[in-house]
Amino acid sequence: MLLIHCPYCEEDRPEVEFANGGQAHIARPADPSAYSDPQWEEFLYIRRNPRGRHHERWRHVHGCGRFFNAVRDTVSDRFETTYKAGEPAR
Amino acid sequence: MLEIAPMKLSAADLALPAEALVADGVQLALADDYARFSLRARDAAILEGLLGRKLPAKIGETLDGVACLGPDEWLALLPAGTALPLGEGLPVSVTDISSRALGFVVEGPRAVELITSGCPLDVAKFPIGRGTRTVFETVEIVVWRTAEARFHIEVWRSFAPWLWHALAAAA
Ligand SMILES: [Zn+2]
Repeated sequence: MLLIHCPYCEEDRPEVEFANGGQAHIARPADPSAYSDPQWEEFLYIRRNPRGRHHERWRHVHGCGRFFNAVRDTVSDRFETTYKAGEPAR
Repeated sequence: MLEIAPMKLSAADLALPAEALVADGVQLALADDYARFSLRARDAAILEGLLGRKLPAKIGETLDGVACLGPDEWLALLPAGTALPLGEGLPVSVTDISSRALGFVVEGPRAVELITSGCPLDVAKFPIGRGTRTVFETVEIVVWRTAEARFHIEVWRSFAPWLWHALAAAA
């Protein structure tokens, strides 16, 4: 079973305790009312789908409950690193 | 304040056997009634001041019937009937969840084997007193090692019959 390091629990935990939360580091619009339709489309729906290194949100849903960020290789499924939400991208 | 009568749970309500299941090397039983509270606070010191008790600081640790489940979340399993101050006006949340879950006690030399039949954590390596949220197959549980050969398992009441039968089958 794949083990994922939870930066809050500070230990490796089994994959089945986690849920993927999609692409990480998507900033909310600072002024939503000024957003045009294409900008909303970009913000809401357009996501990267890289082959290789990918920044993702994960949630330790059946553990501490926290969202955190991870860098995962989409080819090998290897987690390069995980870090707490709010920290800069690695 | 709105008074809500506590829901009384019995084994029969959940189609659970009232008797403990005794198998070779392991026993599975319903735990006693508890007053259960979900405690939330970003600043644990405010919660500790309100409750007048120390809280475990690290995720997975337990202290006097309280387990630290997350960075701002604790589960309190206190003697039935215990009331806690709700902390109105403070940046904390104290919620009575007594009827949300019920407890199983798994005890005996095969207790670890029974739990690992469906739980992916290495519970054999848990020190006594470690408690954490995890899963049994796909059902969310809290596993708490209360003695060398005894574990307390918290499970939401709607999943309890399934978990009982899964553990009984493994026993
Ligand atoms: Zn965690």
